Amino acid sequence: MKIEVIYPEICNLYGDLMNAEYLARSCGAELVNTGLKEKPRFLSEEIPLVFMGTTTERGQELARDAFAPWLDGLKQRTQAGGLTLLTGNALELFGEYVQEDGNRIPMLGLFPIHAERRMMARYNSLYLGKYGEMDIVGFKSQFSHSYGDNGEGLFTTTRGAGLNPDVKAEGLRWNNLMATYLVGPLTIVNPPFAKELLRLMGVEEPHLEFEEAAMDAYRTRVEEFSDPNRGFTYH
Amino acid sequence: MKLRFILALWAAKLSQPLLKITGHKGTNFPGELALKLCPEFLRYIAKPARIVAVTGTDGKTSVTNLICDMLEASGQRVLSNRAGANTNAGVATCLLSGATIFNRTKFDVAALEVDERSAARVYPYVKPQLIAVTNLFRDSIMRNGHPEFIASFLTANLPAGSKLVLNADDLISSSVAPDNPRVYFGLDRLPTDVTDCVNRLNDLRICPKCAGKLEYEYRRYHHIGRARCVDCGFRSPDYDYEGKDVDLANMTMTVADKSGSQTYRLLSDSIFNIYNLLTAVAVLREMGMDHQTIAGLAEKIDIVSSRFQAEKVGQVEVVMQMAKDRNALACSRAFDYVASRPGEKEILLMMNNLSDEVEWSENVCWLYDCDFEFLNNEQITHIVTTGPRGKDYNLRLRLAGVPEERISWARKEMDAADKLYLRPGSSVYILYGADNRSLDMAFRVREKVVKLAEEAGK
Ligand SMILES: [Zn+2]
Repeated sequence: MKIEVIYPEICNLYGDLMNAEYLARSCGAELVNTGLKEKPRFLSEEIPLVFMGTTTERGQELARDAFAPWLDGLKQRTQAGGLTLLTGNALELFGEYVQEDGNRIPMLGLFPIHAERRMMARYNSLYLGKYGEMDIVGFKSQFSHSYGDNGEGLFTTTRGAGLNPDVKAEGLRWNNLMATYLVGPLTIVNPPFAKELLRLMGVEEPHLEFEEAAMDAYRTRVEEFSDPNRGFTYH
Repeated sequence: MKLRFILALWAAKLSQPLLKITGHKGTNFPGELALKLCPEFLRYIAKPARIVAVTGTDGKTSVTNLICDMLEASGQRVLSNRAGANTNAGVATCLLSGATIFNRTKFDVAALEVDERSAARVYPYVKPQLIAVTNLFRDSIMRNGHPEFIASFLTANLPAGSKLVLNADDLISSSVAPDNPRVYFGLDRLPTDVTDCVNRLNDLRICPKCAGKLEYEYRRYHHIGRARCVDCGFRSPDYDYEGKDVDLANMTMTVADKSGSQTYRLLSDSIFNIYNLLTAVAVLREMGMDHQTIAGLAEKIDIVSSRFQAEKVGQVEVVMQMAKDRNALACSRAFDYVASRPGEKEILLMMNNLSDEVEWSENVCWLYDCDFEFLNNEQITHIVTTGPRGKDYNLRLRLAGVPEERISWARKEMDAADKLYLRPGSSVYILYGADNRSLDMAFRVREKVVKLAEEAGK
């Protein structure tokens, strides 16, 4: 079994790569890295999970140009139920464009959303939400929010921002293509969600590496983030 | 505007003795007040004729201190914000303290540490002849985002006339403000260098010009080293000031430039501090001092390190090692350094940012950019985790391969001290964060550890 990491040489900010590593270590999958100048493996091989993480603003444009020829392949993969996870601003790559000051930077246009970027107004917040009945905790640290129709999104926000601070639906979902603005070790701080991903990858009785330690930290964090007296944004 | 400035100057001046009386020494209040009363305070405040600024992710405090100490040892009157903050308010407080009530400067030279993010608020008014940029790495993700952003921010805000003293071994910081006059320093190949990156944190994996593959002639750690692009030929700049022949047994290094070379005494054996010394030497050379004079000054000073303190207590060595919280690079370097020190060690991990806990809950993304793997080491026999993020550390350590039986946990920091074994002949490293609340807590814990070690020694 393989997990493919797309463009790790640029999509590697904020510990995001650990998401793929943790899942791979938990199910014994092999991690395969696909570079900017390579053709993604999922186009020709059985790949239970494709992952792409947060990148820089320059990185977004490099990733967009590199990935454009493979967008149809991703659509087919998603229509067939293939699992893909995008974290942080990898989400924006699949919107229509990124707006910065007077500048409109086109993106891949898979979803009817666009991002508005303000480099001098970084948004930092904790996140508490739901995936079905499951509590989701996480962190947002970003220069932009997205706007447009994201349907029910990936998560339903309890506290914090959705796709933007005005909506509850967080992230994007089309079949098993999942995108979220949450950055960093999403799968590590959310062991139940990590197990769900493993199930979707076809692992029958998923068990996480150091699951007890992960659950211990998770329960503490859910409790903290649920405390209404706990501050939620960073200034 | 001038009247406004004079009022600001006097009001801020008056606040200084008042703060001393009320025990608020060393705060930025005077500078904040001055900036509030006169937003262009930094433009009008008297400044020494010569100004050197130091910026960059890591090492800026140490480099500023080195420059300041060596200039003072040479008999110059040096103004520095070493005791205060590195923001515009910190710089304002510093310049204020160096000016008379008639707005005349009392100093020959200013050595200023300037936070990267404060560039836009400092440099429009303060124009250093020299600006040293130590390096740029991923820092607090909340404040700094990523180093590419900080590099472009510096490019947009460094004054056009300032000559830059840049680290040739860092392709991110050495590329800032390409139109500015510049010199480069760098450290020749070391025996411990590698070519592939062994660290989780690697902020530059592709050529900054063409996105091609970078190949390293030698790599110190992370993205630091000498690289070239296999696709377009872009490569690290040549050294104007080359550190070489680093000899840790004799604690010396040679610095060579176009006018000759000189042996310098090293003040510390960590590579980071070797870079810091090299940076300071390059700055002083650019200020017109000759090698021999600088080497003589370096003999006279010591690193007054608030970041590393070791003390023998009973049969145990108690070491305070700062590991800047929320900073994967600083913690990776600290872990690597601690792991490389000889002998059996216990570690008390408390880089929790306690100030964050007041505001929200610490963002722990940096734990997964940081090389906790260095702590998976046979000679590190016990690690105690504690504080609000203790359980996150537990999990991170397990993922780094540290066996469960080597990890203990206590929620409260003071209780964590009781978990230590304090075996005779071993060392205890207290790794602590840099925010004020954490500093305070770290030194209280240290006191307890010292007491326990004394009792164990009886
Ligand atoms: Zn190139």
